[in-house]
Amino acid sequence: MASTACFVIVSKNDIPIYDAEVGSAPKKEDQAYQHQFILHAALDVVQDLAWATSTMFLKSVDRFNDLVVSVYVTAGHTRFMLLHDSRSEDGIKSFFQEVHELYIKIFLNPLYLPGSRITSSHFNTKVRSLARKYL
Amino acid sequence: MDPLRSYLGRLLLEDVTPVVMVLTTPLAEAACRKSGLSFVDMLSPFSLFKKIDVPVRTASDQPYRLQQFKIRMVYASDVRKQDREVADARIKLVVSEANEKALPDLLSDPPQLKDVLNKPEAELCPLWIKKFNRELIRTLSFSDHETFDHPVACLLVVSSKDKEPISKFADLFNANQLPPLLNEGIMDPQILKHYLVLHEQQDGPQEIAVNILAEMRTTLGLNDCKLLSINSSTQADGSDADNSWSTYKAHGLHNHEGTCFLNMDDLNEIKDFMQDFASNHIIPYMEQKIRVLNQQVATTRKGFRNQIKNLWWRKRDDVPEAANGPMYTFTSIESQIRVLSDYAFMLRDYELALSNYRLLSTDYKLDKAWKRFAGVQEMSGLCYFMLDQSRKDAEYCMENAFTTYLRIGSSGQRNATRCGLWWAEMLKTRGQHREASTVYFRISNEEPSLHSAVLLEQAACCYLLSSPRMLRKYGFHLILAGNSYYLSDQKQHAVRAYRNALFVYKQNPWSYINNHVHFNVGRWYGVLGIFDVAIKHLLEVIACSHQSLTTQSMFLNDFFHFVQSTGEKFDVYKLQLPVFNMSSLRVVNEDHRTYASNTDVDVNESIWQELEEELIPSSSVVRTNWLDTQPKSSPFRNNKACVCVAGEAVKLNVELKNPLQISVNVSGISLICQLSTNLNASGAETGALTTAPEEDIANTKPSISTFESDGNNFTVSKLDIVLGGGETKRIQLEVTPKVIGILKLVGIRWTLSDSVVGYQYFEVATQKKNKKGKRGARRSLNTNLIVIKGLPKLTGYIECLPTKAFTGDLQLLTLNLRNQSEHAVKNIKMKISHPRFVIPGDSSDLDLEFPQCLRKHVQSDSNTVSEGTKENVKGSLFAFPQGIKIQGGATFSWPIWFHAATPGNFSLYLSLYYEMESTTDIPYRTLRMHYNVEVLPSLDVSFAISMCSSRLQEYIVRMDVINKTPSDSFALNQLSCVGTKWAVSTLPSRDSISFVETIPANQAVSCFFKIKDLSTSSCIEAADGSCGSDIVLSAGGSTDVFDVSRTPITDFHYQERYQQGKLAKVPRGLLDFILISKAVAVNSSKPEQLLSHHTCHCSALSQNPVWWLMEGPRTITHDFSKSCCEANIQLVIHNSSEHNTTVRVVTSDCMAEKTKTAPSHESATGQGGWYDVSLENDIKAIASTKGAHSQKQSSESISPFVWCSLSSAQVDLKPDSSAKIPLKVCIFAPGTYDFSTYELHWKVHSSESGHVDENVTSGGGQGYPFYVNVLQGA
Repeated sequence: MASTACFVIVSKNDIPIYDAEVGSAPKKEDQAYQHQFILHAALDVVQDLAWATSTMFLKSVDRFNDLVVSVYVTAGHTRFMLLHDSRSEDGIKSFFQEVHELYIKIFLNPLYLPGSRITSSHFNTKVRSLARKYL
Repeated sequence: MDPLRSYLGRLLLEDVTPVVMVLTTPLAEAACRKSGLSFVDMLSPFSLFKKIDVPVRTASDQPYRLQQFKIRMVYASDVRKQDREVADARIKLVVSEANEKALPDLLSDPPQLKDVLNKPEAELCPLWIKKFNRELIRTLSFSDHETFDHPVACLLVVSSKDKEPISKFADLFNANQLPPLLNEGIMDPQILKHYLVLHEQQDGPQEIAVNILAEMRTTLGLNDCKLLSINSSTQADGSDADNSWSTYKAHGLHNHEGTCFLNMDDLNEIKDFMQDFASNHIIPYMEQKIRVLNQQVATTRKGFRNQIKNLWWRKRDDVPEAANGPMYTFTSIESQIRVLSDYAFMLRDYELALSNYRLLSTDYKLDKAWKRFAGVQEMSGLCYFMLDQSRKDAEYCMENAFTTYLRIGSSGQRNATRCGLWWAEMLKTRGQHREASTVYFRISNEEPSLHSAVLLEQAACCYLLSSPRMLRKYGFHLILAGNSYYLSDQKQHAVRAYRNALFVYKQNPWSYINNHVHFNVGRWYGVLGIFDVAIKHLLEVIACSHQSLTTQSMFLNDFFHFVQSTGEKFDVYKLQLPVFNMSSLRVVNEDHRTYASNTDVDVNESIWQELEEELIPSSSVVRTNWLDTQPKSSPFRNNKACVCVAGEAVKLNVELKNPLQISVNVSGISLICQLSTNLNASGAETGALTTAPEEDIANTKPSISTFESDGNNFTVSKLDIVLGGGETKRIQLEVTPKVIGILKLVGIRWTLSDSVVGYQYFEVATQKKNKKGKRGARRSLNTNLIVIKGLPKLTGYIECLPTKAFTGDLQLLTLNLRNQSEHAVKNIKMKISHPRFVIPGDSSDLDLEFPQCLRKHVQSDSNTVSEGTKENVKGSLFAFPQGIKIQGGATFSWPIWFHAATPGNFSLYLSLYYEMESTTDIPYRTLRMHYNVEVLPSLDVSFAISMCSSRLQEYIVRMDVINKTPSDSFALNQLSCVGTKWAVSTLPSRDSISFVETIPANQAVSCFFKIKDLSTSSCIEAADGSCGSDIVLSAGGSTDVFDVSRTPITDFHYQERYQQGKLAKVPRGLLDFILISKAVAVNSSKPEQLLSHHTCHCSALSQNPVWWLMEGPRTITHDFSKSCCEANIQLVIHNSSEHNTTVRVVTSDCMAEKTKTAPSHESATGQGGWYDVSLENDIKAIASTKGAHSQKQSSESISPFVWCSLSSAQVDLKPDSSAKIPLKVCIFAPGTYDFSTYELHWKVHSSESGHVDENVTSGGGQGYPFYVNVLQGA
């Protein structure tokens, strides 16, 4: 089954610093627009929820038709957002946790300016392999 | 909030009201038509009673008063379910009407966040949306499963002109014409009937009508008949009637034809009639009906017994089931309960209504009549709301109704929408905007695109109203709404929706969102024909680098299409295509500094300043005393502005980049400049401009068209380029001022694909002053230039200066200078950064043929030239002869010698200074030239010199030459010692060294020579030619010898000597060598290439101040039978140092080898550092093997001789003097002896303290082997 999964890391300033289409569905350009819109709109919900709970994984916070937005908020208020249609919450949770570890490694890089775009190809391949593993 | 005052409350009070079915005769209708109205239209303004104040008593005994009441007047023909398509068309009309109103709004600026937030809540959603909602709800009127739309009463109208009016009434209420609701038995046909005679005053007196009325009263009933007089006004268009109508126009009463026969009396009569009708007939009828029905329900359904019965009865009756549940006729108890509760709802007895709805819902649920169940749930939800009771219940009921409607499929879809609208309104009233918007979103999915667009827009509004505000959701839903509008062909609305969302996505880093919004807004504006706004939006997206190729070309095509549609050239500020990298901006103005080529400008200014330090006169010289701080002759020094010269181009370098994958055509790139001839005024203006904040630049600056007319003051260059996909190009723009004044570089303009003119202003330099750390950026941003009077200017270049050369390459080049102006320049000086590489020649060198000119001539006067160049070694400043002037338009050449001294990459800087013949603003100028030379390694030459042990003042030289090139071969030509002190010759064994001619690539060659000091010892050989300072290595013989004592070789040699002397640790070397070789040309067409390698400060391996030599007979014949042999030998000691030296000679009979140190080793290391490192190891090895050999030898032979005269002797030696110490050896047996068992110890007495190196002050040495053959004599 072709699944949709669009993963975005949004910085503290609401700027997307990393995005990847990790789903198995064939990529279409107009979908990219829609995904960005949904994820962007979901930030409103995250804004409320993030301060209401102490956990980092906020589970699914928003939905648009049959697409669900799951969010993970790091301590620095960087948000990992996944737009998906599959339901395995456990897989998403472990995906987020592993990506968080990768993100911290990126963050520890003294040459990486926090809040700037993540361009590391290593990070990209790692995230994609994690997506294949868990989603 | 009081639910009755809320929007939903008012909506329900107006919409869920009793319906009066109207039946008219054609004549009665025609009477109304005279005033341009239908009968219903005429009555409907009076059907709303604001202050009716009627007492009402329903089921309970306690009466209450109704303040506001409304009845709906509907033609009987309209009392039917509406056709779906007709209804949708009507809704569409509502939307498109609003469409036209929206158009002027679209031309204004899009709303900003604060505008939206300041708007009152009601205005956030356009007003027509409410109308739309009501129309949408109205499409469901007169459905079977609800009774509040079922007529409560029936109004039968007959005109007084009708014949037999009584029978007409009967005809009107004919079953054939009645709506299907009554005929199909869904509702009770026994309804309240009211009869009305319509009389036109114009037709005559009322008597006929009164008669008819009387007749009616007798037959139809006393109270149910009325007479209504209309059209009293005789004038076709009564002016007073207009006024009287105006109060009612608001209620939707529109007089279409402009004629109105109704006067004030008529209106009052209508009003009174309606009041009477409502309060005396409808309400009492409804009250009565409620009471009757309530009684009926109470007997059949209320009470425990009835409930049990009901349950049992329903269980049994389960079997017959239709698709929509069982069919309920008006006689069924369920329908009656429904009527009861709806009437109660309409009379605002919500509690009664609610209890009955609840009762009903269980019944319907058991019957599985889902649509009816949902309808009842919906109504009970509304009841809860109107009672302002339990919110949870209300919501539960609404949700239940909503989901039930959705579940039953397409038939319930519109009902679900209506339910959703009510639900959402309910939530909005309670401030739950977020939930309301989700409801809107849910119902939008069920509706066709036009409806869903309107619903989505409402959802968006709810997000804006929710607290906290959810702006992103607002934007997203507006975009969705806009998309739906577009799909349903409502472009204006689509644009409006997108436009409202713009502020949410302003400066949005989410690239796809940004592109989508701007592209669609732009495109739709374009479709609407508003091109300027369309282009403005499309400009935002044309520079999208992340999009695919097709998307990019789509964006670009649409953009150009709209631009061409406007039919004019567009000026766009900060056009994003191509991107000008403003940080790469560089203004090149030539004041007193001029540059030979464009690349020279990039050289750091400090390099030039350092180079020109001695060249240019310092500025302080101009001052006469300390008071005269600012010389008046140079106005440009007062402010920081740069200076440029009229008639000379000011260049500006900038980088531009094409972010797209498509190649774009950029033409007419030019500078926008301003040249003001008034110095003071423009100075003030620049001051004003620099203080203006950056944002205002676009506004404060005049439009670019004014700049173009300045053609007589300056000219600008125009550049056309094509930028490929993703390409970055660096371009140079020029402006040439023609008159004196202040030139201001304002910005750049360019034309994209011949249709769009982009322009961009430079940011003002003073803005950067805050950042003190970044000084480098400021220089290039200085855009104000003072134009001064035209000056002479020299341009120049070095002809055919090689970019690649082999080490040692020696060439004669020409420096060409050209004066382009009319005035002459004088006093030319030149400074060269690397005098080791480039040396200016003599004027006579210009005509020489190279390299023949370097050949040794008989009549060479070598010493004269070198005097002058010796001075230049330090300064490398070269002044051209005083008399040289370059006239205007003239060219001038000067020879330049080039010598590639060391391998590597070198930047040669040449700065030429010249003064003006005539007095000008700038007294002098400099021409700066910069060349990069890559010097490849060619021959690596090194020398090893060791003292000749057999002769005083002679050295053995070993020359190692390695060809380091990968492919070229070189022919050795000659080896020369510099100076006259030394003579070089071949070793005695060979007469000539013709065996080595060429060294192929990667090969090495070693040669041995002998050198001799001519100055100290009066050498006889110096006289004959065989032992000169040059030795020819090539086959050509002595004719091919180059004169190393001539310029330029000697000049370069001085440079080499100076440079290598700096590197060498030894302060004073022994001698210098020059090896001249020729490149072996592969093809003969190339001119002969000459290489000269200079090796300076060569010195001997062990340079002791004391030389010694044993002299004596080599063969002694002695008769050992007589006595032991005594051999007299002499030790000659020579002091070659400059000081007095004490030498002690110690002889020993047996050598203590064990304790002895290896002397040769030490001395070798002591002398280290003067020769090439690569060769040092070889020599060490040779030296050490030698030492080891001698030691070994001495240890083997047991000394069979005894020194007899003395064991130690000491002599004092003056500088450059020799002494002979006689020694005697006693030999006891014939044989061969080595008299080397002596040691020398010396001490140099340095008279000048500290002048001599510590290492040399004292030392010692082993004796050299001296073999004597002693034979047995006869």
